[in-house]
Amino acid sequence: MERAVPLAVPLGQAEVFQALQRLHMTIFSQSVSPCGKFLAAGNNYGQIAVFSLSAALSSEAKEESKKPVVTFQAHDGPVYSMVSTDRHLLSAGDGEVKAWLWVEMLKKPPYRTSLEVPEINALLLIPKENSLLLAGGDCQLHVMDLETGTFTRALRGHTDYIHCLALRERSPEVLSGGEDGAVRLWDLRNSKEVQTIEVYKHEECSRPHNGRWIGCLATDSDWMVCGGGPALTLWHLRSSTPTTIFPMRAPQKHVTFYQDLILSAGQGCCVNQWQLSGELKAQVPGSSPGLLSLSLNQQPTAPECKVLTAAGNSCRVDVFTNLGYRAFSLSF
Amino acid sequence: MGAVTDDEVIRKRLLIDGDGAGDDRRINLLVKSFIKWCNSGSQEEGYTQYQRMLSTLSQCEFSMGKTLLVYDMNLREMENYEKIYKEIECSIAGAHEKIAECKKQILQAKRIRKNRQEYDALAKVIQHHPDRHETLKELEALGKELEHLSHIKESVEDKLELRRKQFHVLLSTIHELQQTLENDEKLSEVEEAQEASMETDPKP
Repeated sequence: MERAVPLAVPLGQAEVFQALQRLHMTIFSQSVSPCGKFLAAGNNYGQIAVFSLSAALSSEAKEESKKPVVTFQAHDGPVYSMVSTDRHLLSAGDGEVKAWLWVEMLKKPPYRTSLEVPEINALLLIPKENSLLLAGGDCQLHVMDLETGTFTRALRGHTDYIHCLALRERSPEVLSGGEDGAVRLWDLRNSKEVQTIEVYKHEECSRPHNGRWIGCLATDSDWMVCGGGPALTLWHLRSSTPTTIFPMRAPQKHVTFYQDLILSAGQGCCVNQWQLSGELKAQVPGSSPGLLSLSLNQQPTAPECKVLTAAGNSCRVDVFTNLGYRAFSLSF
Repeated sequence: MGAVTDDEVIRKRLLIDGDGAGDDRRINLLVKSFIKWCNSGSQEEGYTQYQRMLSTLSQCEFSMGKTLLVYDMNLREMENYEKIYKEIECSIAGAHEKIAECKKQILQAKRIRKNRQEYDALAKVIQHHPDRHETLKELEALGKELEHLSHIKESVEDKLELRRKQFHVLLSTIHELQQTLENDEKLSEVEEAQEASMETDPKP
């Protein structure tokens, strides 16, 4: 999606330009603040908008509370992924990672780095090592130490670019899924590939007409859900067997475990709630024609802002206070 | 000071006035009729007026008694309401606690359900594989067959060896016999040649 550049816009057309921009906006990533009261969303124009969840959820919310508190141009290219640490918001786009202080969002980023990684699709925080994992277009996982900002290791093994990362907490392993159709498990301590699951080779879940790409990954230490080209499947990691296949035709772009459910979102406009047995518990429609990211605000410091937010191919972020229906939408 | 008390008086009067316009008027009339009675002269009129005043007085006392009772009733209603209010507050707090408790139970139940579903999912996969006992039995049977067949193979091989050896013995004996026969023939030829030479020799 190329970025529209205003060349010589006469005054009356500024609104038209803005409206066109909003029409073609795609929100790629979301991240919740460490205090739990704010949500940051990054779009394909490189802007990051910070919304105040506590204001939007309060009983006196007006239309203005659903607009961002602050919007700024973060990157030149799209902001593909974002993640929050205790004090910083890390955003990654085409070849650069920037760190913003949540407390002072408008100032220049105190830290930035650049890599020759063409698009950084996924960021993963590893709290135990205080490091950040980046994965994207150059088929490698890079480990960056957050204190010094240096890149310590690169994990190689994928043959095509990487879409998504997940952290398996019990044994400190990282799962990565990419365009080559394989989910690889890496042990962080000795930087080796521990296990490879080639999803498209299993007949039950492969869908050759969609391709073999893995678009989304989520893990619960013993179990893993992955989807994308092949069908959304639940895997048991220790035996590497697919146990349940979720009957969803549209490829899913984001999946996560929540309590006893699996939430997934993708090409349709709905957030799907699945039980582990494969039954569809609910399908809640959102306001975007396709969803790219889901974010659950489970920060313990703000229990009243415990919501699910979904964003995708539009300028709106849907907020679900109760998983049964869409409460309202925040918009850029 | 004067203005304050005036305001108070006006306020009180306005408040009281709502109860019964008759009461206030009655007291004023009583005061006026008392003054008239004090100033009147004749005995009979005075007596009727006195009676009338007494009745007005008793009316006033009656309405005052009524008001006091109403006041008592209001106080007791207030107490009652206070009691009910406290009870409701207690039950609200209790309900809050129950809600928190139930939420915890829901989380627990969800965890249990998730574990059960995980178990079911794994069990389904396991069911696809055949039972371990059966496979072990099959393995045993196959092992026995294998042993049996290897025994047979051994015995057949032994027999083969034996036959081979016997044939070997037979063939070697035949060869020996052939050799002996050839040797005998040669010997007999040599003897005949010697005899022929011996016959030519004695003719010198």
